[in-house]
Amino acid sequence: MEVAAAARAARRSLGPARALRCGPGLRGRWPLSAGGASLRLCSTRATLEGINKPLVDRIIRVDHAGEYGANRIYAGQMAVLGRSSVGPIIQQMWNQEKDHLKKFSDLMVSYRVRPTVLLPFWNVAGFVLGAGSALLGKKGAMACTVAVEESISDHYNSQIRSLMEDDPEKYKELLQVIKQFRDDEREHHDIGLEHDAEAAPAYSVLKTAIQLGCKAAIFLSERI
Amino acid sequence: MAAAGGLRRAGWRLWRGRAVVRCQLCPPQRALQASAVLRRVSDEQKKEPLASSSQQQPFDSHPPDHQPEQDPQGPRPSYTGQGGQESEDYESEEQLQHRILTAALEFVPEHGWTAEAIAEGAKTLGLSVAAAGMFHSDGSELILHFVSECNSKLSQLLEEEEKLVQLGKAEKKPTDQFLRDAVESRLRMLIPYIDKWPQALSILLLPHNIPSSLNLLTSMIDDIWQYAGDQSTDFNWYTRRAVLTGIYNTTELVMLQDSSPDFEETWRFLENRVADAMNMGSAADQVQSTGEAVVQGLMGMAVTIKNLSGLNQRR
Repeated sequence: MEVAAAARAARRSLGPARALRCGPGLRGRWPLSAGGASLRLCSTRATLEGINKPLVDRIIRVDHAGEYGANRIYAGQMAVLGRSSVGPIIQQMWNQEKDHLKKFSDLMVSYRVRPTVLLPFWNVAGFVLGAGSALLGKKGAMACTVAVEESISDHYNSQIRSLMEDDPEKYKELLQVIKQFRDDEREHHDIGLEHDAEAAPAYSVLKTAIQLGCKAAIFLSERI
Repeated sequence: MAAAGGLRRAGWRLWRGRAVVRCQLCPPQRALQASAVLRRVSDEQKKEPLASSSQQQPFDSHPPDHQPEQDPQGPRPSYTGQGGQESEDYESEEQLQHRILTAALEFVPEHGWTAEAIAEGAKTLGLSVAAAGMFHSDGSELILHFVSECNSKLSQLLEEEEKLVQLGKAEKKPTDQFLRDAVESRLRMLIPYIDKWPQALSILLLPHNIPSSLNLLTSMIDDIWQYAGDQSTDFNWYTRRAVLTGIYNTTELVMLQDSSPDFEETWRFLENRVADAMNMGSAADQVQSTGEAVVQGLMGMAVTIKNLSGLNQRR
């Protein structure tokens, strides 16, 4: 048992020594080992030097999943309410979410993060949530938007906090992106409120249920 | 350097009796532990030079050279700080293990993936065969070390190829060619050890080795796809890796039973599997576009029905 532990440590110490080159396979938060290979930076890949890879992995994975889910929620809402009076507003918010998704996909490639395995599930669940809330009427759709956007902006805030606690300088680009997106989501939240989200049927129940679902989704996507 | 050998030999006896600390420690911390042990040992060694020399006799194959080492030149200032700034003569435990395992590889064709090979490797480095006691008795670390080294070599190879392409000195290969070549280069590294490789595979499947071997396998496959230019951010990420893992594993098994010259059968098998995978990809695309067409048809039908029944008029 103890020797297996030593073996694992030996293997992992070998791992970073070879992995600290232009991108490939940096697993775990190992600092540069004393005899480690020199680090070279590639233009297509983000610098992986010294960052807390597990933390960044989780952040990008869950944010990517979140934007993907938000995309599908708006798609569901548009499918039902596309030709109504709130159609253009939902379309505009949907376009912004598409931009967010694109940005996180790019970050995912450059930081070599794996996407969550639950993406097909969020695909369906998001669409069903969007369509379902839209079937409750325009106010129902807005209530769903408010609930989801509030969850997401709280979540972005806690991510910003954990990155700032670690090292604001190292994560400057990522922090900028998350801050910008958090502001966008807050804006969506306010738009939802402006359009009488609170007058939706069973608003508080709906909001609580959706936010619980979002919390569960965030928990799962970070890990799986 | 000579005194360090003596220190280490006495150290291994002490080290084997110690409970190894949690493997979560970072390498500098582990080196700190190792150095603490070695420094303590160097004190004790002054008290028991006779005991150690009598125990060395049965094991030592170079007695004349190493007897004088029983007089240590005082405790070595082996560790100067937490930041990994070590004096030249001191090497961390991991580095030493690395050297022993690398040396042991040349004895594998003869002894298999066993503690004997590790012992022989330790001997060539001038260490006692008791150094093999540092490792698990089933040779797991040796195999994991070998796999890890092969993966590093593969990464290096792929990176050099990529640089050539970026500099314009080579053509960018199509994906199936790239995957074929990558898997072939990686499998060719097994050729010197092919006779004993089935034994290694079965050891890698032991429960206590599965996390490490799985980790090594997945990181290698991820590396290959990375250099192949995979930028998928959806479920394709998983299907591609799963498919390539399947190709790699089956080709490896075919290779073990291949007796054709230069493993031609294996490479042909590999080519066919990669071609299957590519076809599967295009078949999946076709299924998806068919599915989309069907969905559009259904939506059209639904809209028509809504129109006919008058549901569409109230907005």
